[in-house]
Amino acid sequence: MIEIRDLTKKYGKITAVNQLTLSIPAGEIFGFIGPNGAGKTTTISMVAGLLAPSSGSVSICGVDMLKFPKQAKQKIGYIPDRPYIYEKLTAMEFLKFTADLFSMEKRDFEQKAESKLKQFSLLDWADELIESFSHGMKQRLIMAAALIHEPEVIVVDEPMVGLDPSAIKMVKQMLIDLAASGTTIFMSTHTLQIAEDVCNRIGVIHKGRLIASGTVKELKSQAELKQQADAENIDLEQLFMLLTEPAV
Amino acid sequence: MIHDILTLLNPRFRSIYNQSPVFSRGGGTYKYLFIVILGVIFWAGSLYLSLRVLRYFSQIEELGDILAWKLLSMIIVTIFSLLVFSNILNALSKLYLAKDLKLVHSMPVEGYRIFFARFMESTFDSSWMVILYTLPVFVAYGWVYKAGIFFHMTTFLSLILLAVGAAGVASMLVMAAVVVVPASRIRTLFLFLGLSLFILLYIAFRILRPERLVDPEVFSATLFYFKSMSTPSSPFLPTTWCYDALISALKGENLVTSFHLALAFSFVLITVYVILLMADLIYFNGVSRAQTSAARLFGAVRFNFPLTWRLSGPVRALVEKELKTFFRDQTQWSQLFLIGALICIYIYNFKVLPLERSPIQTIYLQNILSFLNMGLAFFVLIAVTGRFAFPAISMEGEAIWLIRSGPIELKFFIWIKYLIYLIPLMVLTLILIVGTNILLKVVPFMMGLSCINTLFIVPGVLSLGIGLGAAFPSFKSENPAQTVTSYGGLLFMILSAIFIGAVILLQAGPVYMILSSQFKSRPLTLFDMTWIACSFTGALLICLLITVLPMKFGEKRLKESLFDIKR
Repeated sequence: MIEIRDLTKKYGKITAVNQLTLSIPAGEIFGFIGPNGAGKTTTISMVAGLLAPSSGSVSICGVDMLKFPKQAKQKIGYIPDRPYIYEKLTAMEFLKFTADLFSMEKRDFEQKAESKLKQFSLLDWADELIESFSHGMKQRLIMAAALIHEPEVIVVDEPMVGLDPSAIKMVKQMLIDLAASGTTIFMSTHTLQIAEDVCNRIGVIHKGRLIASGTVKELKSQAELKQQADAENIDLEQLFMLLTEPAV
Repeated sequence: MIHDILTLLNPRFRSIYNQSPVFSRGGGTYKYLFIVILGVIFWAGSLYLSLRVLRYFSQIEELGDILAWKLLSMIIVTIFSLLVFSNILNALSKLYLAKDLKLVHSMPVEGYRIFFARFMESTFDSSWMVILYTLPVFVAYGWVYKAGIFFHMTTFLSLILLAVGAAGVASMLVMAAVVVVPASRIRTLFLFLGLSLFILLYIAFRILRPERLVDPEVFSATLFYFKSMSTPSSPFLPTTWCYDALISALKGENLVTSFHLALAFSFVLITVYVILLMADLIYFNGVSRAQTSAARLFGAVRFNFPLTWRLSGPVRALVEKELKTFFRDQTQWSQLFLIGALICIYIYNFKVLPLERSPIQTIYLQNILSFLNMGLAFFVLIAVTGRFAFPAISMEGEAIWLIRSGPIELKFFIWIKYLIYLIPLMVLTLILIVGTNILLKVVPFMMGLSCINTLFIVPGVLSLGIGLGAAFPSFKSENPAQTVTSYGGLLFMILSAIFIGAVILLQAGPVYMILSSQFKSRPLTLFDMTWIACSFTGALLICLLITVLPMKFGEKRLKESLFDIKR
């Protein structure tokens, strides 16, 4: 699970994330949506331990990220939006690198690695250098690496960037299956359809603040109240516009 | 066309301006000032050395001027060769391998205009340093031969024309080669061949033993041989036009100078015209070919390093990753080859030292030389550390997020890098020191002292390299290996030199005392022994401090920059 308390991040005079408080229990997929520059990636970075907050705290399965970063990160599988990895390693070597970094048992590795590569349609490329991979292949490899050590929490920034439709379908189902087995998933996305299809709850962030949070049904009700609109006929995109665009 | 080219060059001008102290309102001023001061010192040093050599030549009757002209001719040929070499590497990068090529070629601009903008950038990048730092030599010629302002203007113009001509020739070769061989592979091959040629020439030069010039018996014969040597002087070479222009300018023959300059200028115009024609025909095809990665020369084989299975998971991950990515990077092989060759040459230099002809007692001299040799060997260590260990942190590149998000402490990551480079650097330095000491036949005390110094100084220099490399990283650089030429790299080289200088100086007095007492059979007094003990203790303390402090500093700075922790 993920606990976020009064999380704030300031860059000089700019407040990128402002007093964010959120609790995501085990087995939930929480989607973070918002316009560009809203603070999604900053929040994701702080939750994954890539950025120190100006104030507030993040706990991963009860472990404080700021006080015990190594232990907290041990529980996370992080998937960034841009797939920069070691180009001179092969896919298998990169998975081995990740497995070793997370102190995974050696005897389990080979079987799990091949299973993950097969799942992400990369088994034929297992011994090829990453420098010859396309953007989408690198993204899938990073996903495979993030999952190989069976993390309790997955933090993912824009999961579908660079993936083809069949890969998108596979990843959606994979996330749902992982959540069903108790993994907590915290993801940011621009694609509202993905959020609607996959997420149990959605948070809308705008100018660093969480302006709405709840299930899709709950958010639609909020929009109905705001606009006297018919909740059944409003979709997430319209909802997003209603919540994030300035009132006329 | 001018508008398109200026627009394409604008990002370069803007980024130079945006990085300057003017834009950042004084930020980084000290950094730039420091670099400028270093440059001025180097420039002044080159001028002084050139004046000394030319004045020495001018004092040799009959042959003095001939030697000076020969030297000038050789310098111009060397400059032209360097410019062609440098331009080939830069042209390959700028024209075919740069990251922004996709963006630029997607714009509605003709291919040859993109080529020309890149050509101008590449020419400038390859040439400015060569021109700036060879100017002192030509200034020295003007000074010694009392030439007027016209000579200096001719020098400047000749060098510019030589640079553009070399760039043109290089671009032609590159464009033709890329049609056949992938650009990335050409770069690696060329670097390797260029270095091999340089090393072979240097070995050949070294085997000739030019130090025999200081032997009067050999000197006059060598001078006559040198007089008869000739560098290529075909009337169709740009180096000949440059040389002829400078000689006639020195002699005050302005019309002749103008004629040779006009020849050089017309060569440049024709070269530029030809490369624009070539660019229009084949440049874009080469760019397309460069987008695909070259086929692997060797098939993929899964293997594990023999001893790493004993290490814990995270240590094994970092060590194996570092070794594999290092040895699979083809640009590193040529550097390793160069270092290997330099070590052989370094040791050979000691083999041929004419110690038996020294007026100083040989065994005494050998041991003093051994002590001085330590300083030299440690400077080689600084150069190698700067090339490999300093950029080690930056070599993570944009993949640094893996370390940031991984369950490892930054301190752990930095120290693993340190330990990976410690063993090879230690072995390298020990080979240099022990090998030369064996050739010098030093006493056991000097051998022991040299080895102990190596055991303590290598960790210190490496700590400075890794620590400052962590404090001044460059994760977005296209070529992290060049970070040693940055502010952090210069700081590393200066601090390392000061560290080694301090340790050597602290030991100089005691070593002299110990050797004197051994060779003159004079016992050491209590005061001598106290001084010796204090000096060696001081040197040891400095080594221990330097081994620890830079790493702590680097870790702190890296943590602050990676995680945006406010100080």
